[in-house]
Amino acid sequence: MKRRFSTIIGSMALASAALSAPVVAADGPSGADIANDAQTPGDVLSYGMGPWQQRFSSLDKLNTTNVTKLVPVFAASLGGEKQRGQESQPLVYDGMIYVTGSYSRLFAFDARTGEKKWEYNARLPDAIMPCCDVVNRGAAIHGNKVIFATLDAHLVALDRHTGKVIWNKKTGDYQAGYSATAAPLIVGNKVIVGNSGGEFGIVGEVQARDVETGELIWSRPTVEGNMGTLNGKDNGISGKTNATWTGDLYKTGGGATWLGGTYDPGTNMVYFGTGNPGPWNSHLRPGDNLYTASTLGIDADTGVIKWHYQTTPHDGWDFDGVNEFVPFDASINGKPMKLGAKADRNGYFYVLDRTNGKLVSANKFVMQTTWANGINLKTGRPNYVDDNRPGAPGTADKGKVVFASPSFLGGKNWMPMAYSQDTGLFYVPSNDWGMDIWNEPIAYKKGAAFLGAGFTIKPIAEDHIGALRAMDPKTGKIVWEYKNKAPLWGGVLTTHGNLVFTGTPEGFLKAFDAKSGQELWKFQTGSGVVGSPITWEQDGEQYVAVMSGWGGAVPLWGGEVAKTFKEISQGGMLWVFKLPKQ
Amino acid sequence: MRATRRSLLKGLARAGFGAAGVLALPAALRPLPLQAAPLEKVKELGVLRVGLYTDNRPWSWDDGGKPAGIDADLARALASQLGVRADIALFLADDDIAGDLRNVVWRGGLLGFQPCDVMLHVPFDKILIKEEDNVAFLAPYHRETFGAACSADGGNCEAHPASFKGHPVAVETASIPDLYMLGQAGGSMTRDLIHVPTGYEAVAALTDGRADFTVATTAQIEAVVADHPDSGIKVRKSALPLMMSPGWDIGIAVKDNARTLGFALEEAIGAMIADGRMKALFAHHGVQWHPALAAQPST
Repeated sequence: MKRRFSTIIGSMALASAALSAPVVAADGPSGADIANDAQTPGDVLSYGMGPWQQRFSSLDKLNTTNVTKLVPVFAASLGGEKQRGQESQPLVYDGMIYVTGSYSRLFAFDARTGEKKWEYNARLPDAIMPCCDVVNRGAAIHGNKVIFATLDAHLVALDRHTGKVIWNKKTGDYQAGYSATAAPLIVGNKVIVGNSGGEFGIVGEVQARDVETGELIWSRPTVEGNMGTLNGKDNGISGKTNATWTGDLYKTGGGATWLGGTYDPGTNMVYFGTGNPGPWNSHLRPGDNLYTASTLGIDADTGVIKWHYQTTPHDGWDFDGVNEFVPFDASINGKPMKLGAKADRNGYFYVLDRTNGKLVSANKFVMQTTWANGINLKTGRPNYVDDNRPGAPGTADKGKVVFASPSFLGGKNWMPMAYSQDTGLFYVPSNDWGMDIWNEPIAYKKGAAFLGAGFTIKPIAEDHIGALRAMDPKTGKIVWEYKNKAPLWGGVLTTHGNLVFTGTPEGFLKAFDAKSGQELWKFQTGSGVVGSPITWEQDGEQYVAVMSGWGGAVPLWGGEVAKTFKEISQGGMLWVFKLPKQ
Repeated sequence: MRATRRSLLKGLARAGFGAAGVLALPAALRPLPLQAAPLEKVKELGVLRVGLYTDNRPWSWDDGGKPAGIDADLARALASQLGVRADIALFLADDDIAGDLRNVVWRGGLLGFQPCDVMLHVPFDKILIKEEDNVAFLAPYHRETFGAACSADGGNCEAHPASFKGHPVAVETASIPDLYMLGQAGGSMTRDLIHVPTGYEAVAALTDGRADFTVATTAQIEAVVADHPDSGIKVRKSALPLMMSPGWDIGIAVKDNARTLGFALEEAIGAMIADGRMKALFAHHGVQWHPALAAQPST
């Protein structure tokens, strides 16, 4: 008690001293504090550093003139034999860093010394066979709790002081193929999560739960024809049954919301992207297959879908539409607008009116999109190149080999982009790669003959796969780009110090000039960086932190692409940096 | 010398693993330590760990905590022939066979699932054998095919599948039967299809009025008929026109460096086939045993 009391006094003193003072209250951050996260650079209370998840910090003590002097303060290992992909973004609150690790683990470190305070290991059934590595992308904090999702599709709330379980709720059945890896989203007193499991004939869903108890408040399926709920009662089906699906296929239609969502307090909507439809081959499911490969604007109080925008109707390339929809305000043709942007797996950067989902613009952010020649601004639909759709299965031979770009891992995969309120640019971690895809007449699934698809991912440029691109959302032009040999797989951070940070599989955390793209600083972390960096102010100094630990979906695919990362070792380390004291 | 297609195919399968330097030598000529290790280990521990699909009725499924099915019985029979106990590990299927072989045979699961000594119900297919160089494919013990069946009042089961347009037709989601039926009548039967998670359930839908027609594997059809003797299900006798799969052999897989164990199991399976125990084991589940094509004598 005494310690907490002194914390309050301390924070009050700080609050009067500096605007950047962290929110510290005896009972922890409230929903209002979390909604205000982007305005309090003394802490990081949410995935994306604010409900809009712009990953923009107003701090500028660290800037283009001094970033070359940035050095590590400490590194903290996640320990044990459990390494693999570390895709997490740390949270910072009350002198602690909370970060999730691979294999559904959550750690609390002292933010000043790096000393581990506690560690929570979810007890996972050994029968889970995760499709795409054993990653976790981050936690949420609210009150006395830190909350995260686990690979066996549970949502777990821990006491942030002790790491002891407060509640643990099953959000899906892992035996039916459900999983969870995204960071939960806090809206008021609700914790809102999506689901994973796109390859197994599941139905995507968004769930809002009571943050105090974990009890379900509302649920919203992302595939039309399925029933939503509110307070335990039916709350209307999503869309109109069979409008864009034939027969009963909507019951296993896919559309997983595996990357979580963003929140706009102004419209009171949560924005969730949805995964590809199932089954994988588009010829098995005629129609647009709503609301797969889409962004949904969902009322945060009731779970009712207010609008949808489908980026890849009738997807045939595994172009998941899960990418984050990042709200921002800008003037288009002199008119101030409430907007949102999404860099889609399909290679297009979409700007939408976030109040109604209307398309404002769509521009390529990758080298090549073989599947479509642009997006029709009137209809909002892609101009498909029909010849480049993977063929119908069922023929006895291998059939036509189609080259498709981007590859199914996307122009941009899970890794979140950042938006600078200073430069007005989005910084998009993207990849230029394609795939050969063909029917596989001799495939087997569960011991039986099966019609699969064969594919080989390959680079499409001599000098790079990865490309960090600065995109002007008003013009759709790429202002600068940084090319990287290996695929980029980590999140981006930008700051008022005119800096952009991101990591590379080669092990570097790098800093760039936000205006020019010039590389200013890099540090070798010892393993690939596929996490999302953060920054905050502590004791009058600006800190930067990132997770290091190579993994994720990329190493699962071999071929030419694998040559770019074959020498990279696994890891599991939190790195924290600041400028040396003068 | 009279060669059998089986020995030829086996030779091919083993030659595919030339990297390990093992040739298809007769058992007596193989170097002893290599031959002894994996088999001796199983005997020493007294346990044969067998990996089976967890939801693959009638082959293997979880029957109230106890592994049941043809493959489960086969696993127990093989273990007892080696003089050890069977430890059956039921596992969730991955997206394709490559994932299963990785999780179950040569690497293990990422979350602690221990690799098995052997996996049953593995397709025995030349191309697959060539692609998967971490495992040895052995002992093709049965041939699977697709067939069709009708409910008691489902009409003429020998008629063209397209004639069931307008009737409920049950299929396993995203399976070959699914695709086959989707393609009937110019693709106009999509609204008639009832998608269920397994082929067994698709056939079972004929017993309770949910469906009039189904396409599934022959084993799935025969097992449901045996499990519901009074249902009046009619099994189609004529071949399915333009069915895209002619059938496939199933066998076993062991780690590439455990083929001594594999050979011992192959021998045991050969003995069960020779003395009729295999046929009886299948018959116990209502399923007719068919020798694998790769194991049939050539002329």
